[in-house]
Amino acid sequence: MTEKMISLLFLIGSLTYLYWAQEFTFGTLGSPKSGFIPNLAGFTALLLSLLLILRQFRSKKYKNKEAVDWTKLLFILIGLVFYLLILNMAGYFVATFIFLFYLFKAADTSGWCFPLVLSFCSSAAFHLLFTYYLKVALP
Amino acid sequence: MDVLNLLLQGVSVSIIPSNLLSCTTGVLIGTLVGVLPGIDTVSAIALLLPFSYGMDSTAALIMFAGIYYGSKFGGSTTSILINVPGEAASVVTCLDGYPMGQKGRAGAALAISAIGSFIAGTIGLIGLTLLAPPLAQAALAFGPPEYFSLALVGLILLSKLTGTSTLKSALMAVIGIMLSTIGLDSLSGISRFTFGIDELDRGFDLSILAMGLFGIGEILTAMTHVDAKPNIPSVRFRDLYPTKEEWQRSITPMFRGGIVGFLVGLLPGPAATISSFISYGLEKRYSKHPEEFGHGAIEGVAGPEAANNSAISATMIPLLSLGLPFCGATAILLSGFMIHGITPGPSLITERPELFWGLIASMYIGNVLLLVINLPLIGVFVQLLKTPLNILMPLVAVVTLTGAYSINNSMLDLIWVTFFGILGFLLQRVGFEPSPLIIGLVLGPELERGLTQGLIICNGNIWTFITRPIAATILSLGAIVILYNFFTWFTKFNNKRKELDTNRY
Repeated sequence: MTEKMISLLFLIGSLTYLYWAQEFTFGTLGSPKSGFIPNLAGFTALLLSLLLILRQFRSKKYKNKEAVDWTKLLFILIGLVFYLLILNMAGYFVATFIFLFYLFKAADTSGWCFPLVLSFCSSAAFHLLFTYYLKVALP
Repeated sequence: MDVLNLLLQGVSVSIIPSNLLSCTTGVLIGTLVGVLPGIDTVSAIALLLPFSYGMDSTAALIMFAGIYYGSKFGGSTTSILINVPGEAASVVTCLDGYPMGQKGRAGAALAISAIGSFIAGTIGLIGLTLLAPPLAQAALAFGPPEYFSLALVGLILLSKLTGTSTLKSALMAVIGIMLSTIGLDSLSGISRFTFGIDELDRGFDLSILAMGLFGIGEILTAMTHVDAKPNIPSVRFRDLYPTKEEWQRSITPMFRGGIVGFLVGLLPGPAATISSFISYGLEKRYSKHPEEFGHGAIEGVAGPEAANNSAISATMIPLLSLGLPFCGATAILLSGFMIHGITPGPSLITERPELFWGLIASMYIGNVLLLVINLPLIGVFVQLLKTPLNILMPLVAVVTLTGAYSINNSMLDLIWVTFFGILGFLLQRVGFEPSPLIIGLVLGPELERGLTQGLIICNGNIWTFITRPIAATILSLGAIVILYNFFTWFTKFNNKRKELDTNRY
C-alpha cells in the first residue's frame, strides 16, 4: 500500500511540475530555452510513474517487510517538528537539550537521571563545538 | 616514470603532519562509519562538511577520501560478528563471514578481510594512478555533446545497476534532474520553480539533500526498527591469525576480487556492492569446495571484501578526471571539493597537481594505515558495536541537524532535511534506492548544459551528436543497455505467455 501511495505521490508531483514548467519557454531544437529540460524531465517522470503504478496494480507479489514501530516513528516526527518550531524561540542550547531528552525517552532509554545528564552534557558540548570551534552563528 | 615522480611529489604533500593527521582521522572515522550499522558513508561525509570549513582544502579532501575508503574497510566487522552488514557492500560477507564466526574463526575472517581489502585497495590505487591522468588529458577535448552523452549514459547505466527495480531507479534519477532545475538557470539567468522564495534561487544544496535522505532517513530506520539485541562475540588479537590452509585458499580470491572490483568500479552505480556479489559468484564457481559456500568458506570472505575495496579507487576515476560522480558517495565528495572552491575535472591535474597527487598518495598511505591501525584495534571496534542505538541515534540526529543548519545558517534547510529524511525513510521501506536521486541532482545541470549548448552548436540537429566519435561510442553503450533491457523484458513476457497457453490446454 505504501509503495502505491509513494508512486501516486510521484505521479501527482510530476504532473504539478509539468504544469508549472509551462511557465517557461520551451524554445526550439536549434535554440532550446529555460523550459526545455523541465518539460522533458517532467514528461519522462510522468511516464515512468504511470508505468510504475500500472506495474504495481498488475503485480500480486507481496513482499514481507521488516517490522517498524510506527508509534515510535510518530513520536520522533512530532519531536522533530517541535524542535524546528522552538529552535528560534528557545535558542539552540535549550531547544537541543529538550529535543535530545525527548528522543532518548522516545527511544526507550531507561531511567530519568541518565538521559537528563546526557542530554545536558551533549547539548553543552555541541553548543561549544559549533559556536566556538566552528564559529557557526546558532539560533 | 613521470607518473612515479608526480606520485612522489604527492607523497611529499601527503606526509605533511596536518595532512597525515587528516588522513588518519579520515580512515578512523571511516572505519567507525563502516562498523556502526545505521550510519551511512554519504551521510557521514555530508555531516562532516561543516567541520572542514576551517581546514586547508587538501587536508579536508584527504579526510573525506579517508572516510570513503575507510568505511568499506570497516563494513565487514559487523557482517562477520553479528550477521548485520555495516555497509551495503558487506552484505555478501555475511553469507560466509558469519558462519565462520559461529565456528570460532571470526578472528581469521576479520584478518583475511582486512588483508584482502589492503591488497585489493592497492590494486585499485595503481589503476587509479595510471588511468586518471590520461583520461583527464583526453577529457580536455570533450565538448558539450560528449559531456551530455556521458551524463545521460551514466544515468541509464545507474538505473540498470542499482540492484533494485530499473523503473524505480530511473524515476529517482529523473526526479533528481527535476530538483536540479529549481533555482537560477545558469544559461538564461531566469529563476525557475522558486515561487518568490529567494533562498531557493541557489537551488538544492547536495549536502542538505544527502543529510536528509541518508542521514535522517537512516536514523528514522534505525530508531523504529524492531529487532532483538545481537550477541556479540569477543575477539582478541591472538585470534586474528589465519591458518596456513586459510591463507592458501584466500590469496587468489583476493587478487581476483581486486581486479573484478576495479573493472566494475569504472561503471556508474553502487560499484562496491555489485562487485562484491560478482566476486562471490566467481569464487563459488572457481572454488574446489563450492559446497562450503554459505557455511563458512574463507574464499567467500576474501574475494568480495577485496572487490568492494578495489571498486572504491575506481569510482574516484570519473570524479577526478571528468568531474562527474557516478555514485552517491562520490557525489557528496564532489560537494566537499566545491565547498573548498575546487572543481574536479580535466583541469584539476594541471591547475592543482599538488592536490591531485597529494590526494592519491594519501590514499596509498591511508590504505597502509587502515591495516596497521585496524587489526590491533579490532577489540575496540567490537566494544563500540555494543553502543546502544537508542543512545547513539539521537546524538547523530542532533549533529546532522546542526550540521545542516551551519551550511547556510538557514531554517529552510532544516525543514528540507526533515522533509527529505521522512521521504528517505519511506523510499527505503518501499524499495526505492535514493542514490540515483542524488546523482540525478548532480548530473542534471551537466546534462542540461551539454544538451542545450550541444543543440545550439549542432543547429538543432541532434543526430550530429552521433557523428562525433566519442559521443557516438558513449551513446551506443547506452543504446545497447536499453535494447538489452527491452529484449530481456520481451523474452520474459513471451515465456510467461507461452506458459499460460500451455496451462490452458
